[in-house]
Amino acid sequence: MRTALIPAALALAVFWTAPAFAAGTPAPKDAYVYFIWPSDGTVIQGGKFWVRMGLRNMGVCPRGVALPNVGHHHLLIDTELPPLNEPIPSDRNHLHFGAGETEARIELPPGKHTLQLLLGDQDHAPHDPPVYSKKITIVVQ
Amino acid sequence: MMKFAAAFVVFLFCGAALAGPTPAPANAYLYIGWPNDGQVIIANGKPFRVWFGLRNMGVAPKDVKFPNTGHHHLLIDTDLPPPDQEIPSDRNHLHFGAGETETMLALPPGKHTLQLLMGDDKHIPHNPPIYSKKITITVK
Repeated sequence: MRTALIPAALALAVFWTAPAFAAGTPAPKDAYVYFIWPSDGTVIQGGKFWVRMGLRNMGVCPRGVALPNVGHHHLLIDTELPPLNEPIPSDRNHLHFGAGETEARIELPPGKHTLQLLLGDQDHAPHDPPVYSKKITIVVQ
Repeated sequence: MMKFAAAFVVFLFCGAALAGPTPAPANAYLYIGWPNDGQVIIANGKPFRVWFGLRNMGVAPKDVKFPNTGHHHLLIDTDLPPPDQEIPSDRNHLHFGAGETETMLALPPGKHTLQLLMGDDKHIPHNPPIYSKKITITVK
């Protein structure tokens, strides 16, 4: 009985110290999030436009619902990808679409802006592997 | 007592009108992002992508109850189904209950109609029903 405890304890210790990074909600390897509109280099007149968010090989689902192969959109504006092992922050540069929206009306001031899409799971944390789009640059005139 | 009974009967009658139980969000706008009405698609027997556009409303998988959401249904070569029942599931009524927002569609050559219809968590159209314009495409 005693000898069986030692390998069990060792196994537990290995598991316990496993990095938290790998514990994200799994996403299919071919999941693909992308901008239907605008594209890289699009020039937008007037500052108000609909961002159309595309997703392949995964489904859209509101926040708080744990189901396989789903997530909800986040739009990153003028910022880098956040740490991918934590919930995505929620602020003017990180817009959350936790109600399952696939389009959003955005208003930006004149100038160059970067946009990037990042999918989040039921707790707004990126998946494993993370599902994010190319970062695109648009110009608002 | 009679007044109450009469009011109750009226209420029941209104409730029994042809409509699903889930209210439609205000200003929900459903459209087919691509193809466009009148599009000629040179498919050469291969599937082509259909984009589902939705504004002022969200997508949720089937069986998920979340306000102002629904999931997509693509109607192919058919009219809108009865608005107070579960949308049928067959080759003319494709369900996207996993929350998909686009699909690859293979159609034989010829003229076809496409139309999107939102369903609630139980595949019943909203009240009032949310559907896109019915478009006609030619597949070559």
